[in-house]
Amino acid sequence: MRPMLKITDLSAAVGEDSEAKTILNGLSLDVPAGEVHAIMGPNGAGKSTLSYVLTGRSGYEVTGGSATLNGENVLDMDPETRAAKGMFLSFQYPVEIPGVPVMTFVRTAMNAQRKARGEDEISAPDFIKKSRDVAKTLNLDAEMLKRPVNVGFSGGEKKRLEIYQMMMLEPKFLILDETDSGLDIDALKTVADGVNAMRDPSRGMLVITHYQRLLDYIKPDKVHVLAKGRIIKTGEADLALRLEKEGYDGVLGEAA
Amino acid sequence: MTTALRDFIKNPTPAELELVARYGAQPEDSRRERAFLAFAETGLPHRRMEAWKWTDFKAALKALETPAAASAKDPLPHEGALVFRFTPNGFEAPVNMPEGIRMVEQPGMQAFPGAENVPLGALAAALSGGGKRPATLIFEITSGNLPRLHFVFSGSGQASFARIVFLIRSGASLNLSESYLGGAGLTSTVLEFDLEQDTAINRAIFQRGGADEALAVTGIAHLGANAEMTQTTLSFGAKVARMETRVVHQATGAKLNLNAAYLSGRGFHTDITTNVRHGAPSCVTRQLTKGAVLDGGTGVFQGKFFVPRKTGQHTDADMQHQALLLEDGAQVFAKPELEIYADDVECAHGNTCGALDDAQMFYLRQRGIPENQARAMLTEAFIAEALGKADDSVREVLLAEAQNWLSS
Repeated sequence: MRPMLKITDLSAAVGEDSEAKTILNGLSLDVPAGEVHAIMGPNGAGKSTLSYVLTGRSGYEVTGGSATLNGENVLDMDPETRAAKGMFLSFQYPVEIPGVPVMTFVRTAMNAQRKARGEDEISAPDFIKKSRDVAKTLNLDAEMLKRPVNVGFSGGEKKRLEIYQMMMLEPKFLILDETDSGLDIDALKTVADGVNAMRDPSRGMLVITHYQRLLDYIKPDKVHVLAKGRIIKTGEADLALRLEKEGYDGVLGEAA
Repeated sequence: MTTALRDFIKNPTPAELELVARYGAQPEDSRRERAFLAFAETGLPHRRMEAWKWTDFKAALKALETPAAASAKDPLPHEGALVFRFTPNGFEAPVNMPEGIRMVEQPGMQAFPGAENVPLGALAAALSGGGKRPATLIFEITSGNLPRLHFVFSGSGQASFARIVFLIRSGASLNLSESYLGGAGLTSTVLEFDLEQDTAINRAIFQRGGADEALAVTGIAHLGANAEMTQTTLSFGAKVARMETRVVHQATGAKLNLNAAYLSGRGFHTDITTNVRHGAPSCVTRQLTKGAVLDGGTGVFQGKFFVPRKTGQHTDADMQHQALLLEDGAQVFAKPELEIYADDVECAHGNTCGALDDAQMFYLRQRGIPENQARAMLTEAFIAEALGKADDSVREVLLAEAQNWLSS
């Protein structure tokens, strides 16, 4: 079966021409629908760069290789087109948007995606009902959804709001970038429950994390180790435990 | 007399000569003469004058005759308001006026103190009137319960001048809106507000002009004890547009909210100039100006707070100007000035110019919002704050107008 996300020999650099610095260096990775893959790696390995290159943030130049989602090359698409195709990034540092209430933002996003896919807009009552149900699952205060996006939110609230958006938009492919950072155990559990509720045979997930802790709650099908811009080791869920015990140096030394 | 005046303006431009001729056609009047002389001192304001260095009417205004472009449509609601219309040759007022408002159409000119500070205001005072239009239109407000007064200024080619004076008597309040819709080569309007103690005014100004028009709106207000003035401007500019407001806090406890949003597209120039004098202790000024400018557009902000040593004690004043340069080639000039001599005051100011935040843009686009829509959403949210204090009856319309501009 063709993988949902297929990354082949991907190289990318950040910065202007003469000072461009290669961050991804021949990265290959397949994530089939229905599976959750974790990417672990030391600081500076290129984890966040991978998430930005896949979602089309400016400032990153793809210098080689390809990335396809359901067979379509995503690297040539605008960020909004990739989003409409079902690509969703849960940000490591969610951005504050003063003056734009959460509900307005998410509804605008949802309808923009629907329009791009040639679907009808969601009606206001349907949207409100869906929002209420999702907020309840995530223990989100309804008042919070009327406030401007992420403005004055705690670290935990911001991460929960990312999951809220994910559950509202129902993307096909999820990238979670360090979703566990800044969360206490209770918040981590709520967030993980939200992510687990999204697991589905038709959906793929890439969970980028520093620590094994998150993977106690979101069980991956595969664990990849990213270092120096490429995947240097792939294993089952127990690889994460080994990394936790032996450290990256131990595992990397063995792979080298 | 005309000849002498002609000599008074050094090297007059064709437009200035036409203004002199218009003045010459008016009946003789010593007050009118004083006002016109105040204008003639400099002629049309130009870049060698400090207060006009970024907004040059002399260079912009080749001749008074105009534009093919018709006036813009008035977006502000007329329902529920008392509507007054100024056209180049006419003036229309509601037939029935409620109690608490008295309108006087003064055929002669009222004295215009401070004319030397506002050359285009002086010009408006000197040339207003003629035809069916009053030289000075005076409103005396004695009620706190009037419907909104709405003024519409539109032209059809000719230069157009008007002067309106509001006397707001103790305890009364006024909800006022004005639409400046262009359609004339030169429009200059001067409005004066005298707020007695315990009065309030909420003033909203909508301005949209053509790319070959010059427009000036000059507001001059004196605030009495505990008087509160709130002003909200939404200006889309013109070839040159100057929205100038001068306020004097005259007695203790006066409060001023002075907000404006300017949106300048290619070929449009919008100037927001304000001057606030804290001439009495314990007065408050809150000023917020926001702007967004496209490639080939120009925005100007000049704000001044003057706080004298003795009378300005316990002043509480804050001036903020924030501008978004939405494209390369957009220009914003800003001069925030705080001149403070009193030592026991709280005065703050902030001034920023920049592009939209890349991180915010990416966040919106990653969620599926197309680039143009994302830019409009962020800019609208940025601008909206400056329109927040407008009266309920006009705020949504002002926001919608800003939104339309941003998404077009």
